[in-house]
Amino acid sequence: MDAQTLASTGISALMLSAIYILMALGFALLLSVMGVLNFAHSALYMVAGYICYEFTVGFGLSGWLSLILTVVVMGAFGVFLERFCFRPFFGDTNRIIVIALALIVILESLMNILVGTAVRKVPDFISGTIKFSGFQVSQQRILVTFIGAAVLIALIILIQNTRRGQQMLAVAQDFVGATLQGINIYRTMAFATVIACALAALAGSLGGAVYYLNPFIGDQMLVKAIEVVILAGIGSISGVFAGGLILGIIDAFLPMVLSGVATDATGLGIVVLILLFRPQGLFGHEA
Amino acid sequence: MGGLIGLIVLLFLLPMIIQQQTYYLHVFIIVLIYIIVVSSLRTVALSGQLSVGHAAFMGVGAYFSGVITRELAISPWLAIPLGGLASMLVAVLIGYPFTRVRAIYFSMISLFGGIIIVDLIMVAQKWTGAAGLANIPLLSPINIPGIGNITFLGQKLPYYYCTLILTLVCLFILYRLEHSRVGINWKAIAQSHMVASSVGINEAYYRVLALAVGCFFAGLAGAWYAHYTLVLGTSTFGFLPSIYLVMYMLVGGQKRFAGPIIGTTILVMVPELVRSLKESAPLVLGAIMVIVVFLMPQGIVGLFDQIRVRYRKSNKRKVTESVAGN
Repeated sequence: MDAQTLASTGISALMLSAIYILMALGFALLLSVMGVLNFAHSALYMVAGYICYEFTVGFGLSGWLSLILTVVVMGAFGVFLERFCFRPFFGDTNRIIVIALALIVILESLMNILVGTAVRKVPDFISGTIKFSGFQVSQQRILVTFIGAAVLIALIILIQNTRRGQQMLAVAQDFVGATLQGINIYRTMAFATVIACALAALAGSLGGAVYYLNPFIGDQMLVKAIEVVILAGIGSISGVFAGGLILGIIDAFLPMVLSGVATDATGLGIVVLILLFRPQGLFGHEA
Repeated sequence: MGGLIGLIVLLFLLPMIIQQQTYYLHVFIIVLIYIIVVSSLRTVALSGQLSVGHAAFMGVGAYFSGVITRELAISPWLAIPLGGLASMLVAVLIGYPFTRVRAIYFSMISLFGGIIIVDLIMVAQKWTGAAGLANIPLLSPINIPGIGNITFLGQKLPYYYCTLILTLVCLFILYRLEHSRVGINWKAIAQSHMVASSVGINEAYYRVLALAVGCFFAGLAGAWYAHYTLVLGTSTFGFLPSIYLVMYMLVGGQKRFAGPIIGTTILVMVPELVRSLKESAPLVLGAIMVIVVFLMPQGIVGLFDQIRVRYRKSNKRKVTESVAGN
């Protein structure tokens, strides 16, 4: 393995981590704030990719504008999601699983009808490569990494330093106690859902530009997001970073030594092993 | 009880009612096989372990039986129970370390376990075939005294009756298990693993037992499926099919034994019946799920309870009104 391969694989690892973390943060937020096991996160990722594709290719908007528009559209969808899919079933895990599965079935088959199974790809946000201390690396991959990192820092600041963020933490700890303190838990939950959807939208648009799109692409991403969240431990937002980095590195470097599905199995095997020695995840508390 | 016997008689007479139309018989056979799988999933869930990788165990049984009949020329009648046992063995091997994790962590780790199993089946291409396992031997003809020789070549009817009998036997065993001491221990663990341990229930043993029993029946049904369809692909046993199994159970209703049976029947049959809609067929499925989740909090079986409660209430009101009138 020469230095050039190492450099580009390293960048890939960072980029993968960024996308995984974006997905996993949304999933973790819904899980810890509302107790919602949102399997439909896969569908959100996929739908966001197609919306971004439609804005850039269909309407001919610039990449950045369509990225922002996608985030806005998906955020609005988050309001709908919270009001009509999560709030009526608050506290009933089984029914939330069913409604999330219903969302997957409906969104995936709608996309299948609208665009078919033909593989699409969001146009590159930036093309070309950059010379970086002697190594050629794709600019887009660096860009995705930076966007991911920036959003994550913004989110941490939001959760740690704003009123709304602290309210989310309070609701996550004890929603009855939060209500007693005068926190409007439904508004807080809507806020969390909007953030989760916006994060999925970012991941979907960026992932759609780096990889490709089809109506069922989100399923793999969902497995990765769940892996990261479980690895980090439920309830730990900062653990998601470590989990995402570990998984990104595994997924970027393993294909160099193994081939095909064996990589997937090994990556999952590592996660399962870690869980068996630390059942509550790396940074989580006991369920 | 009378209703149950009537239903079983109806199922035995069903081929006459639908006039042996091959396609509908096929749909019913698939429904019956999935009823075994989803009911076995419910048995695992009784002990508080909601497995989200159950389809993979069905796959273990299917591939094991398919491969050994192809490679070793064993009779399918012997290979099918062996498929179930293979699935049970895998369940025990991975189930024991999995007892360290509980609740949602167990669900997720079983999801990963299921994906790993399917990946491993794909890795073992030498035996399982690069593009799926084909040419699985048909069930060999059997001779039942009093009925005569039964051959399975190109016939759906014998398959239907054999599947029906298999399903009824499996359901009977699962039902008896649930209402035995073992089943009560499982439910106790599901309610509170600490209380259950404190009164002397070996939590790890009973949880592995639930997984082993559930996976045995899933493997059995999978092996039967393999010798019915004769072709296997890993997509039948992957991540989404596992989630679908959970969905069949939850839509039917998890609380009662009949839940998975009703849920599977409706959710497997409806997409087949509306197959002429092509890509939009899954939308019908989605619509059913939305209706169920909004109107029936306990799944479809819960509807009967809802009706019963409402009926009793209106009855009681009538009585009090008549008393008040007097």
